[in-house]
Amino acid sequence: MTGPTLYVALVAFGVVVGVASGLLGVGGGTLVVPFLTLAVGLTQHSAQATSLLVILPTAIAGSLALRRRGVGDLGLALRFGVVGAIGSVLGALLALALPASALRLVFAVFVGLVGLRLGRDGIRPEKTRT
Amino acid sequence: MPDVDSSRPLRLRLGLDAKLLAIGLGGGLLSGLLGVGGGTVMVPLLVLWAAYSQRDAHALSLGAIIPISVAGIATYGVAGKVEYWQALGLAAGSIAGARIGAGLLAKIDERLLKIVFGTFLVGVAVLLGVRG
Repeated sequence: MTGPTLYVALVAFGVVVGVASGLLGVGGGTLVVPFLTLAVGLTQHSAQATSLLVILPTAIAGSLALRRRGVGDLGLALRFGVVGAIGSVLGALLALALPASALRLVFAVFVGLVGLRLGRDGIRPEKTRT
Repeated sequence: MPDVDSSRPLRLRLGLDAKLLAIGLGGGLLSGLLGVGGGTVMVPLLVLWAAYSQRDAHALSLGAIIPISVAGIATYGVAGKVEYWQALGLAAGSIAGARIGAGLLAKIDERLLKIVFGTFLVGVAVLLGVRG
């Protein structure tokens, strides 16, 4: 994709990412990174870096919209996130020393199991207890 | 799992207890490690372990992503890997979309939200498995 077509695709995909981000409370990196590598043709590193720059304004816009509606506690969320930021730096440093494909597989299994569990909870919420 | 009444406000003036501390650190760690949003890790842990309602967990995760992504941008910015024009195009759409999504989150039924999020996670897992 080039020129105007690319831009239309970027903005359109951005809307999808934004809706998912605001509704699901995720940054959207899991959607943006594959889009940028597979559809736009960026390298993995560029895609991850670029996706973070998309995630930040998206999370701010979503959080402000939630605060206006009285959902959640943004102050607590930010304090919670500062702890996360420390973890993020540590994680990035750790990533340089570990094989990425193995990590991705472990993460995929974790996310898949949790997804199934939550889906089951949504269908039968009374039956589950950890 | 205790299903917290979604209309109840999040416990205000709550400091970070041990669980939040651990989830924040873990979510940030995996975010930095795998280059994916920490939300896919933080939301499930907030719901299944810290017993937050699904809706509050999503709001908490989204807010936490702000400082987490700042830390990530700083790290990648040093490496000079950011494609600004692509980011601008995506962000133009996603800022508008985020307001729509947040509006949906404020209203959606808790159980439906669980199903939607669960489906999203399974999709992410498949995507990660295929790419990994």
